[in-house]
Amino acid sequence: MKFKAPFIIILSTILSLFLLAGCGQKQESGQEQGQRSAAKAHTYKIGLSLAITGSTSDAGNPYSKGVEDYINYANEMKFLGDDKIKCMIRDDQYKNDVTKRNFEDFLSAGIIFYLNYSTGSTLALKRDFEEERIPVIPASFHAGNLIDSNYIFLPIVSYSSQAIGLSEYIVNNHKGVNPKTAMFIHPSAFGRGPVEDVKKAVAAGLTMDIIEVVEHGRDLDNTAMLKRLISKKVQYVICNTVQSPVATLLNDAQRLGISADEFGQEDKITFFGVHYTGGNDLIALAGTSAENFFWTTSYRLTNEESAGASAQLEIAQKYGRDSKTANSHNYTNGIMAAQIAVETIRRAKAKGLEINRSNLYNELTAMNGFNAYYPLTTVGPVTFSSQDHAGVDTQIIYQVQNGVFRSICNPFESTYTGKLK
Amino acid sequence: MSVNRWLATGNFYESYKQEQRIFSTHCERAVFIVFIVALFLWPLLIKTSNTALLVLDEIMIAIIAIIGLNLVTGFAGLISIGHAAFVGIGAYTLAATSRVLGDQHVLLTHAWPLMIFLSGTAGAVFGAFVGLPAIRLKHLYLAIATLSFQMIFQWTINFMSFFNQGQTIPIARVYCFTGMVSRKDHYLFWYYTILIIVVVCGFCVRNLLRTRYGRCLVAVRDNDRAADAMGMHPGLTKVYAFSLSGFFAGIAGALHAYLYRGAGLDSFTLHHSITYLAMAIVGGLGTLAGSFFGPTAIKALDLQVEQLSEWTSVFLPAAMNLATALKPLAFGLVIVLFLIFEPRGIANWWRIIKSYIKLWPFKY
Amino acid sequence: MSYFFQLVVSGIVTGSIYALSALGFVLIYKSSRVLNIAHGQIIAGGAFITYALTVWLKIPIYLSFFISMIITFFLAMSIERIFLRRLIGEPIISIIMVTIGLMSILDGIIYLTPFGTYNLSFPDFFPKRPIIFWGISISWTRMAGVIITFILISLFSWFFKKSPIGVSMRAVSDDQMASMSVGISVPKVFGLAWAMAGMSAAAAGSIIGNITGLNFETLHAFGIAVFPVVILGGLDSIIGAVVAGIIMGLIQQFAAGYLDGNWGLNGTADVLPYIILLIILLFKPHGLFGTHEIERV
Repeated sequence: MKFKAPFIIILSTILSLFLLAGCGQKQESGQEQGQRSAAKAHTYKIGLSLAITGSTSDAGNPYSKGVEDYINYANEMKFLGDDKIKCMIRDDQYKNDVTKRNFEDFLSAGIIFYLNYSTGSTLALKRDFEEERIPVIPASFHAGNLIDSNYIFLPIVSYSSQAIGLSEYIVNNHKGVNPKTAMFIHPSAFGRGPVEDVKKAVAAGLTMDIIEVVEHGRDLDNTAMLKRLISKKVQYVICNTVQSPVATLLNDAQRLGISADEFGQEDKITFFGVHYTGGNDLIALAGTSAENFFWTTSYRLTNEESAGASAQLEIAQKYGRDSKTANSHNYTNGIMAAQIAVETIRRAKAKGLEINRSNLYNELTAMNGFNAYYPLTTVGPVTFSSQDHAGVDTQIIYQVQNGVFRSICNPFESTYTGKLK
Repeated sequence: MSVNRWLATGNFYESYKQEQRIFSTHCERAVFIVFIVALFLWPLLIKTSNTALLVLDEIMIAIIAIIGLNLVTGFAGLISIGHAAFVGIGAYTLAATSRVLGDQHVLLTHAWPLMIFLSGTAGAVFGAFVGLPAIRLKHLYLAIATLSFQMIFQWTINFMSFFNQGQTIPIARVYCFTGMVSRKDHYLFWYYTILIIVVVCGFCVRNLLRTRYGRCLVAVRDNDRAADAMGMHPGLTKVYAFSLSGFFAGIAGALHAYLYRGAGLDSFTLHHSITYLAMAIVGGLGTLAGSFFGPTAIKALDLQVEQLSEWTSVFLPAAMNLATALKPLAFGLVIVLFLIFEPRGIANWWRIIKSYIKLWPFKY
Repeated sequence: MSYFFQLVVSGIVTGSIYALSALGFVLIYKSSRVLNIAHGQIIAGGAFITYALTVWLKIPIYLSFFISMIITFFLAMSIERIFLRRLIGEPIISIIMVTIGLMSILDGIIYLTPFGTYNLSFPDFFPKRPIIFWGISISWTRMAGVIITFILISLFSWFFKKSPIGVSMRAVSDDQMASMSVGISVPKVFGLAWAMAGMSAAAAGSIIGNITGLNFETLHAFGIAVFPVVILGGLDSIIGAVVAGIIMGLIQQFAAGYLDGNWGLNGTADVLPYIILLIILLFKPHGLFGTHEIERV
């Protein structure tokens, strides 16, 4: 007791100072930075809040590195002349509350462009984006992001269009009457998003039967579900979830001996997936069961020769990334978001405009026709307009062959996506 | 009253009533009033960023939730691993109203004090309902029953399209006397509102603990059979503890929904329940002061660690994993260190400091 | 009908893996009255150690399975020594919280390794072709899982019933004071209980890791998913863990097989265990096989 009280007083004083510093420090640094940039007027700030830790960090981690590296690359290659872009990257652990705090923090630091991550936080912050009139590129391609929103831009085709694209591929290549299809989705808005749109496409004339929509839980065993699908003569399953459940599904299907060896094999199931189901992580998780899995995205992969692949690998090598990150399609994804941001700023600057939110927004919406942006890493051009907020409209389908994803068709644009509009 | 009511160097209580005073000396009361006034005045004098205000609002909402958790876990000794679900019930009361009536409905935008109270009531109703198993269940079995409630809550929200399947349900900005609270004033407005609610809740609970209903909780915690023998009804007391705790949680949830302008499942998961428990432990279970210190300390720690990990990522760009690891490590270490070295939480430090100052320059 | 039997078989297989995971909880609770919330992390840790040994050090998998069990044996023992030993005699809430703290710390440590964010899978060491009889198929991995589970559980049951250490562990769980007075070292027993729980966790982790692939989130979510099993069986009964594990496995499979997809329901397998748990607890407050404690004032 004798020593304890003074000790505690000192300790708690230090702790409370610490707390004050916590609140004060951020603000201070914000102001300081604000002054500095005002003096030089050459550093443009953009913000990125994403899940570097917590759930989906397996995607968020390479994504953040992609953004970081491309911004550094753009600065070093002087894409903007002597001007620099400063990208503040904050971890939000996939929690909407933290994303909101980060966003407020970015706003007080004076960002002109914002990169977001999850479907949940994009939907939660939609109204803030509207009020702040700031262009936003999320890593979530959820079609619902665009409803009631003017400032959210999807870098590539939405999950819905991807799923419709896959459905069209099934319909076009299926032999016989209407292909029977099921959807295997993540129990969240992210997973459910495409279901309605695919159903709409079917109603609009896509000759396909959707037999069942399965939302997965944390199941260890999909036997029951797979048996049920087989008994209902389902031949195709379109997945929209993350890799781990798909891997379990594929493993179970292979174990039951019902995974098709080639597209459309009778009495067997062929599996399809949209952007976040695939990639090297899936092969790492599912091993040989991933064989013959069809996956769609708008990105070029590094295991196939292309200008985009070599550029990506070059950047990754320059910044010392391991091969896992360098070859991840989420690294490509991150690079893509950064590319669009840098390109928009570059265009505005080339026109001699002041770099602010509204000019960047105008610049983004003008990115079409002859002004379309052709990045190397995607299978098609990025086109935005005030109506069209999905960037790359084309997609490509990859198939796992001998443990690697191989493209099996030319980039295409799903026809029903256009029809539904 | 020969005793000096301004400075008392020891305890000179002559009756139970005197001992149960909220402020034992006038000095204490004066300091308290100055502190509260300072809390109200400082935002007018110092310009603060929205982020800082948001953090403060968050802390105060957590304080309201922890006051509730402390009632059930600290005072009544019933472990609740489902507190975030009660907070969620509050938020989803607003969200349901918004779904049924539309988010611009006058009930939500103008009658928000009523809505906050209603959310608290909804929390209380659910609290009583979830508390029912407490009549039969004890200890860990009860803890797991509350965990079940948390899981069922999460599943229900996540799978019902009425609740937008767990995605954020928007809630409009509120109006006060001067018209709509704009984006600029949003956080300041809620700072004051929440501050007032925190002070009121604090006084309510402090007074509750001075009544037989409050003592009843403690008696049931210490030994429910003995309490039964003394004429209390342990089962009812437990249900009532859960219900009270649900009330505070509901209010916290409603405030959370208003502050973030939407309710999403994301903020009311099991992880949050665990964090709430950690806040209660670090603050000091079964103390009112602890309900204030715990959330402050844990949120401050969170922020500090966030900054630290950002700082490390500047110097070690390749070792992002370290940044990832820091947060859970720090959180876990704080809980474990507190439990091992100061199981009575920060509230105990507070007590020691108070008695030290009171007795100074003497040492007992 | 074959659909029904497939569900039954899958349920039993899943259930026995639950039982193996639950075993660790029961071992710890039985001797030291601690509910170890960090068990999921230990399960994940065990899986990662097995993977590291198999793939990085190229040790044959059955050998690395045992080595990882030995490693977690000492790991869990030291966890008990460092964290839990100091809290003997503290209220339940402190003990729950210390394991929650532990969970966070282990999370942090695992995030320091590549396993925190990477997705990996074990190399195949069983034939991928399933065992099929009467139209019901089980994979070799699962079959092996079930066999290992039952071997381990019978070993542990035997250990508790017959071996001198097992008997002293039961004595400690019954009455700490009395067992101390007859010369049983209570701390040693606690340490041993943790160590054995660690072993069973490593076994469970390796089996689950083989089934789902190694994703940290999937693995540690298992720690929470096992709660209904442990409580349903009664916290201190090994046989309870087995029975409850299988019941829960069956419930989940039937929920997924018959409820999902009908009446707009989905993902019921995640919530039904909790609902059934609540209902059963109302009638049997100490689970199916838990010891009914007599409380005195």
